[in-house]
Amino acid sequence: MEQDAQLVQQCLQGDGSAWEELVRRHTRRIYNICYRFTGNAAEAEDLSQDVFFRVYKTLASYRSAYGGFATWMTSVTRNLLIDHYRRTKRDRVTDSLDDAMPVVENKASSARRPDELALLGELSNQIQSALTKLSPELREAVILRDLQQLEYGEIQRTLAVPEGTVKSRINRGRIELARILQQMGVRPS
Amino acid sequence: MTNSPRIPLTWTCEQTEERLTDYLEGLLQPEEQVAFDAHLAACPQCAPLLASVSHLLTDLHTMDEVESPPRLIYNILDKTLGPRDSVTGWRAALAWVRSLANPRVGYGFASVVATFLILLSSSGFNWRKPKLADLKPANIYRGADRQVHLVYARGTKFVSDLRVVYEIQSRLNQDEQQNPSQQERSRPQPSPSDPGRTDGTNPSYPKQQNRANGVERNMQMLAASLPALLERRAR
Repeated sequence: MEQDAQLVQQCLQGDGSAWEELVRRHTRRIYNICYRFTGNAAEAEDLSQDVFFRVYKTLASYRSAYGGFATWMTSVTRNLLIDHYRRTKRDRVTDSLDDAMPVVENKASSARRPDELALLGELSNQIQSALTKLSPELREAVILRDLQQLEYGEIQRTLAVPEGTVKSRINRGRIELARILQQMGVRPS
Repeated sequence: MTNSPRIPLTWTCEQTEERLTDYLEGLLQPEEQVAFDAHLAACPQCAPLLASVSHLLTDLHTMDEVESPPRLIYNILDKTLGPRDSVTGWRAALAWVRSLANPRVGYGFASVVATFLILLSSSGFNWRKPKLADLKPANIYRGADRQVHLVYARGTKFVSDLRVVYEIQSRLNQDEQQNPSQQERSRPQPSPSDPGRTDGTNPSYPKQQNRANGVERNMQMLAASLPALLERRAR
């Protein structure tokens, strides 16, 4: 976290390599949040670029007192995702379950057998598909808590809502997601 | 007032759902826990829901991160810092020279030099009295050709000598098989001691006796067959 703050200072002094380092450190995390929220690889790529572009333009407004740089970036990401959701709401049609993009899962552990990998990949696609059926408020809460493993405090700062609201959204999001998966006929592992 | 056990709260399904995450994370107070368990035991809908959410959490926590596209970082850098400038002119040449300063290039260069030196030496280049004329391709070729012919001639001679030796040996073995009785007769009688020896060995031992007999026999046979072999060689 301190290293991020140091890199931000170097960026503000015009050090391009510091910005490059920041991009390398956070690209994957931001892309994952975007992908889990949209369920679409191309949209996630475009949105990730937009996030970094906005962060680059507003870097001077970052204050370390606000929280870690990662939390600040997550907050910018979340705002962009909500904007994107509202902007595309009219164009969006109900997603088919078959729409899940085949995406290379990274932690394809060599310890897992091929049949286990196939099952996990299928389950992952089904959960991803169910995630996109949640409302954006519940979706972002579940993604930040259960996929990004953030603490309640970090989520509270990211979403700028009280802790009680964060807990309530996470709880409702999980229950809603479990029900959607049940309706999809997905058996838990 | 008597200390009676607390009566479990009678929770509704809505209340149970609201506290589901707290229950899973162990954040309920003891009396809430009792009420929650009592409701779960009695409610046919909430128990399966709890199981579903619990399994979902396990699945979510084991979901793998997706790999970001490799080009994404470069696209972001291009979008924020602008397209990277291409270096030209003497700066490009300098950058190219700097790129050579790595161990891999050094090892490659060293192996090329070593190969060149080995080839030059094998072509007969005189390192003590080097002449510029020796480095001419025609002279290098001539020297290499000479060296090749010399190596070939030496090899041929070596093989020919080996053939002679094997021929002698096979002739000796043949004669040995044909005259075993003669060898028995020529074997010296064992003596209890050999006072003239200074090497600490005793040829009367069977192994040393056999070896001595064999050498003597071979020498005799070689002497007998040598004129014929030399005559054939001369032809």
